[in-house]
Amino acid sequence: MALQVNIHDILGQLYQHRDLVAYLFANRDRVSLNELIAAGSLTQEQYLKLKSLDLIYDYEGVISLNDAVVSMFEEFMEIGEVTPGLVRDYMNELQRQLRFYTDIRELRFLRGVKKYLKRIDVALSREIIKLQKNVDDTYKNESNYRVKIQKLEDYREKRDTIISFIKSTHDIIDTNRNLFNLSNDNELFGIVSALKHSLIENLDYLIEIQTDITDYINKIQLQLDSYLKAQQVKEIKDRGQLYYQTNFKSVIESVNTLRHNNIKTPRTRISVNALFTDEGHVLCQKIAEKYKLSRLLARGIAEKLSGNYKEKALEQQLKLDTERLVERFLNQEKQNLFLYLMDYKFPKAIGDVHLEDRLSLFVEIAMEYQNKMDFKYRLEYYNYNDAQQQHRKIGYTLIVPPKLKSSKKSKTPQRT
Amino acid sequence: MLAEDFNLPKQTHTIFSIMARGHFISSNGTREGMNRLYDIINNPEHFERLQAYFNIIHYQIERGNNYFYFSKMQEPQSELEKKLERFERYLDIIDLFASMDNKITIGSRFRPSEIAEECVANVRLKQKLQKIPLYRSETLHNKVREICDLLSRDSFLELEDEKTESYKVLDAYTYLLDIVNAIAIYEEPSTLENTKL
Repeated sequence: MALQVNIHDILGQLYQHRDLVAYLFANRDRVSLNELIAAGSLTQEQYLKLKSLDLIYDYEGVISLNDAVVSMFEEFMEIGEVTPGLVRDYMNELQRQLRFYTDIRELRFLRGVKKYLKRIDVALSREIIKLQKNVDDTYKNESNYRVKIQKLEDYREKRDTIISFIKSTHDIIDTNRNLFNLSNDNELFGIVSALKHSLIENLDYLIEIQTDITDYINKIQLQLDSYLKAQQVKEIKDRGQLYYQTNFKSVIESVNTLRHNNIKTPRTRISVNALFTDEGHVLCQKIAEKYKLSRLLARGIAEKLSGNYKEKALEQQLKLDTERLVERFLNQEKQNLFLYLMDYKFPKAIGDVHLEDRLSLFVEIAMEYQNKMDFKYRLEYYNYNDAQQQHRKIGYTLIVPPKLKSSKKSKTPQRT
Repeated sequence: MLAEDFNLPKQTHTIFSIMARGHFISSNGTREGMNRLYDIINNPEHFERLQAYFNIIHYQIERGNNYFYFSKMQEPQSELEKKLERFERYLDIIDLFASMDNKITIGSRFRPSEIAEECVANVRLKQKLQKIPLYRSETLHNKVREICDLLSRDSFLELEDEKTESYKVLDAYTYLLDIVNAIAIYEEPSTLENTKL
């Protein structure tokens, strides 16, 4: 990094361009300058400034973050390449400090010993975590199988290196046990016993990782073998001998997956009752809209059914026609509403419409459409015979279509 | 008996609706939370309960290497012709994948255009691709696309990113390789063949 910068500058610049830094960190070695400028995440001046601070590099138009920045992030997040060499450095340093301390029993060397013992502990665990992550990641995400195998082999080697480090750390502790005892330092005892414990634990992890690596390599090998076999079978197929030279037919016959046996998903039909619910109505409306079925569209969401809804079934059916009926009534001029209803020929589907039904329809229309009609507030009478063949007379208010002046109408019928 | 009596995981419905469609549930699938569903079925306790539950309606959960699928008990295996035809086509596709420089294996990510490019550059691959019987195939690219589409409909691949058209190979792909491995090649051609020659 350029010598003239200070930490505030670097932090300031990193913070100011945090989106860019995050983007570059996620897309290493893939982003070109033009791309960034076109996307608006970087201007030419910003680019020059960052470059002058050595925070980003530009190699043949590809922008990448400074390696130091990248490795700093990686260290913190415990990702990135496994670097067991670091542990070796710590071990060398530890041995140097131990030599000093053996010669001169000074506290500052003991402090050094403690520091490096701690660092070895942390570094080993971190490297192992990284190793595990990398092995999994390689198996799952590396798309080239040759690179994949090679990488896994490399990790196997790194694992062996880490194991050898663990062993030599163990040896160092063992050989210096007397020295540690002599120091009579409680903190040191704590550090050493913690380190010993984690060494054993880490060894277990490494054995697991080894199993994983072997498993993965075997799996890849198996896939490659299958590919060879597939090519062989395909050759036989191309020669037209697939059914004679192999047991292809019987193998395929035993295939039991649903899809290949053409077993369809169990089909269900919507229940009619469900269509009468509000959800069902919404569904119906959707379908009606799609196929332009006006009959379905006209139906509103069902109201709560009254207790005796079965008895009222006929009435409800009549209700469905009411609007139409009123419309027709308004378009004629000959009759008033009451007589119109009495004479009206209802569709056969509804069946016989009795006088009572017609009367209630009359009341209903009178109440619902009172704004559209002309009420004359004049009584007229209607004669009829009831079920017992008795002579009866009904009084009713004259109601006429608004333009018709001379007709008759009623508001409420009055039985006499 | 109530469904609760089986003490089933709450994802049972989702598991059923995926597998009853004839799809595989792979451990490395991500769509519809597939990896999560895999973990649920893979839990030995859940597996037993689900198996018992689905057995009632004659579905059997079959376990493969990192994948699960349904088979149907007491169902006459039908349409052998179609099945054979289908697996012959799979064989063609696997052979194509096997002959590529960058072999496609479990967990591989690729784009149809990459395969198409390789086929353009390599005459042998190009011939292989052209010989695979498919319906719409004006260009090599479209043909590869159709293959990917076919495999992802059978849940061997997963379309990971629609924008970049990148596919991921799921664990269920092992099923096809297992089938290939199960095929025995007779060392000598039958005597009938010999007499013909």
